[in-house]
Amino acid sequence: MRNKIIPSGLRDLLPDQVKVMREIEKKITQLFKGYSFQEIITPTFEYLDVIETGAGNIREELFLFMDREGGILSLRPEVTVAIARMVATHLIDKDFPQRLFYIANVFRHIQPQRAQHREFWQMGVELMGVSGVRADAEIITLAVESLRTIGVQDFKISLNQIGIFNSLLEDSSIESEQKKLIRSLVEGKDLVELGKLLESLPIDDALKETIVKLPVLHGGLEILRDLPYLEKHPQASQAVEELVNVYDALQVTGVRENVVLDLGVLRGLDYYTGIVFEGYAPDLGYGLLGGGRYDNLVGKFGRDCPAVGFAMGLDRLAMVLDSKEKSLPHYLVGGTDYEKVVERCNELRNKNYVVEMDVENLTKAELEQKLKAPYQLIYID
Amino acid sequence: MQQKLTIALSKGMLLKPTIKLFKEAGLPTKNLDEDTRTMVFDYEDQNIRYLMCRPTDVPIYVEQGAADLGIVGKDVIVEQGKDIYELADLGFGYCRFVVAVPEVLKDEKLENFNYKRVATKFPIVTEGFFRSKGLQIEIIKLHGNIELAPIMGLSDVIVDIVSTGRTLKENNLVELEQIMDSTTRLICNRVSYKTKHNKIRPLIRKFEIITKGGITT
Repeated sequence: MRNKIIPSGLRDLLPDQVKVMREIEKKITQLFKGYSFQEIITPTFEYLDVIETGAGNIREELFLFMDREGGILSLRPEVTVAIARMVATHLIDKDFPQRLFYIANVFRHIQPQRAQHREFWQMGVELMGVSGVRADAEIITLAVESLRTIGVQDFKISLNQIGIFNSLLEDSSIESEQKKLIRSLVEGKDLVELGKLLESLPIDDALKETIVKLPVLHGGLEILRDLPYLEKHPQASQAVEELVNVYDALQVTGVRENVVLDLGVLRGLDYYTGIVFEGYAPDLGYGLLGGGRYDNLVGKFGRDCPAVGFAMGLDRLAMVLDSKEKSLPHYLVGGTDYEKVVERCNELRNKNYVVEMDVENLTKAELEQKLKAPYQLIYID
Repeated sequence: MQQKLTIALSKGMLLKPTIKLFKEAGLPTKNLDEDTRTMVFDYEDQNIRYLMCRPTDVPIYVEQGAADLGIVGKDVIVEQGKDIYELADLGFGYCRFVVAVPEVLKDEKLENFNYKRVATKFPIVTEGFFRSKGLQIEIIKLHGNIELAPIMGLSDVIVDIVSTGRTLKENNLVELEQIMDSTTRLICNRVSYKTKHNKIRPLIRKFEIITKGGITT
């Protein structure tokens, strides 16, 4: 029965699921447009070269295939790289800042799980061509407002500045092999081995203590006081200052109550260059959104351009929302006079109601029997 | 609303020391016992719930968020490579991964086992170890009694975890090389760590004071 199955990790989305997703898209699209973001669409697949130029070697996660000339193609694993390519080519004459957003299905060859599929839907924004606190704050604000506008309960955005960790590591007396190991332990979230490794290294105790603490620090501004080594380190303390400034700006934009400082957000250490953040809801063991500042990406395609953005997983957002939300009135309209029935249906549809027209020519009694909530019957004699 | 904390426990050897640790840390342990066949122990007053799991199932419960925390051996963690936080070394349940060979081969060098057959319960750790030494081997995945494989000629070498080494000796096997040590770890779901931070941090601190290991914050 192979003709009835679909590949592992892919899904058919049924009407109820699609309805929730489209509703989310609609609300967030409206929000993005209100902030002057414009929608773009990029190709579903690209040359592998393009993806590796932007995202590095992630080949194991890609769906690869060949074109007829022997070029290697990849289904898009995300959209930001394509946008960077676009900004460095088609949009090269447009002035900065450019505000762009997208809704796209993306493909990753990962182990399928409850909230992890091989084809999934992302919606995201990129603010290109501006650096600085206000640009960062706008993007984080949009992340919070996105979750607010669709009604996610009790969510938190964890915020960090990747420069704190990177500059501590780069500028210290640690050997380069050990640096690699520390990075891989931090990215692998193995805090036990990290502690053991640092203990064995001949470096400043305050630095050790600071690196070990970073991945677990979580809270308000007070956590920054816990880091003795930072003051001695000019680049790291500059990164801390930037983080504090963004956090303060979020007070002005009115979203700070949903934001927590979390120096453990160390996603994509090679990719991001400034603030990084992730969003979580308490009931889902997976992140809802993630993003940050990536000032070096567009440069890889030949145009120097600071940038900041985030993407959220629409499938995961749909999982945390209460799907029993109140919806518009639903009507089932039938009758003998076809013209009148059509007229009535259109009248109701113009009010944005959901209208199902009887096309089977059923009697009133038959329609009454067929009627299901939330539909109400209108029968025109 | 007080958040509930769900902890996946490893049944078997690790359970007793786990209960002892929990008791010392002031966590509820009343009636906590694997012999009762109960799979969920719910302490509503303390907002804590334990799940009784096979050790190899603990990481998946935690990765998928069915449990916030888990108690499991490093041996299981490295073999499975799940996306979870490893928060603290609880110290107990010590064992080590070793390469072992029949006694007659005890003076052979590891390099001489290139292209040989290795029986193990831990194909990923085994493959990773031999690869890192530049060696290629054929893995024979077994589910238990690994020591039997070289005796019956099913494999030339085995990779297994040992604590005292008695089982090896009884089967005329000797350790050729140590791969890594393993002790019990406290693991955590990547989101629970953020959303239930206020409940999890104090717990880690208590565990660390009791075991005097792990991270020092």
